[in-house]
Amino acid sequence: MDNITLKSSPDTPYFPEVNFDADTGVCEISGESYMEETYKFYLPLVNWIKEYIKNTNNKIELVIKLIYLNTSSTKCILDMLEVLKEYQDKGGDVKVIWYYDIEDPDMVNEVEDFEVESGIKIELQKFEP
Amino acid sequence: MIDQATIKQDLFKKTLLSYRGPFYIELISVFGSNIKDFTKEYDNTRRKLFRIFIELSQNVSYYSEHFHMVNNVQRIGLGEMDLKEHETFFTFTTKNRVKNSDAKILSERCKLVNQSDHLELRHLKREQRMNSPGEKFGARIGLIQAVMLSKNKLKYKIEKINDKFSMFSITVKVDKN
Repeated sequence: MDNITLKSSPDTPYFPEVNFDADTGVCEISGESYMEETYKFYLPLVNWIKEYIKNTNNKIELVIKLIYLNTSSTKCILDMLEVLKEYQDKGGDVKVIWYYDIEDPDMVNEVEDFEVESGIKIELQKFEP
Repeated sequence: MIDQATIKQDLFKKTLLSYRGPFYIELISVFGSNIKDFTKEYDNTRRKLFRIFIELSQNVSYYSEHFHMVNNVQRIGLGEMDLKEHETFFTFTTKNRVKNSDAKILSERCKLVNQSDHLELRHLKREQRMNSPGEKFGARIGLIQAVMLSKNKLKYKIEKINDKFSMFSITVKVDKN
């Protein structure tokens, strides 16, 4: 399976940086996410996770370091979490870590909502200054 | 009768950003960066304003009934926006054309959001996001998110243009922290 590597650019700050590593199972999304046609950006990422899960029984770790995501992106992240929850329910080893700014309580609420909606445990980690 | 506090707020009022035209993502991104810059002395407010700005601007971009087609495939909505600074708060307003049939639905949605407390909004948000068909429809929670972030009621107005269309304007107030 190929890795997915998308670098961020100051010209298009609305696209996040993406690093999905097929060797380690670590999938990282960072930066900001508010592009147009959000689902077109996230669909290959969701499909990559589905494929990874289908082909291996390995651990998968989703690491989110988004400082901002628009509501359309939240729907896509929820889709991703639902796929991971399904894998976990079938015995898959899943870890989700969400990095947040200590001064951003709105993001903490958002993560709590994701936990309720997807049923998956999300580990909150503070961004190191 | 106008009270003293309103007069004081009006005296302080200044426009930080005003725009009328197509809401391209490139432009939204530049304005977003301007907004972060204009409000940098208010850390939490700055974050909230940016987030509300993105949601409301993208609503104009996706749903305005006055739009441009780019390469016959991409639909870019046209509308207006302005960001004003008052003594103790900021206001962000967007205005765009809507179908008369949608104006009633929008008005009902704003009314429901304004009537709900924070906990009810959180439930509504979860419910709407889970039940949204996704894809091009997004999460359909932009207005809820704007009110949850600002912790103030939406001000909205619908002005009929003709038998087919109306202008829908929405203002969100964000207190300075």
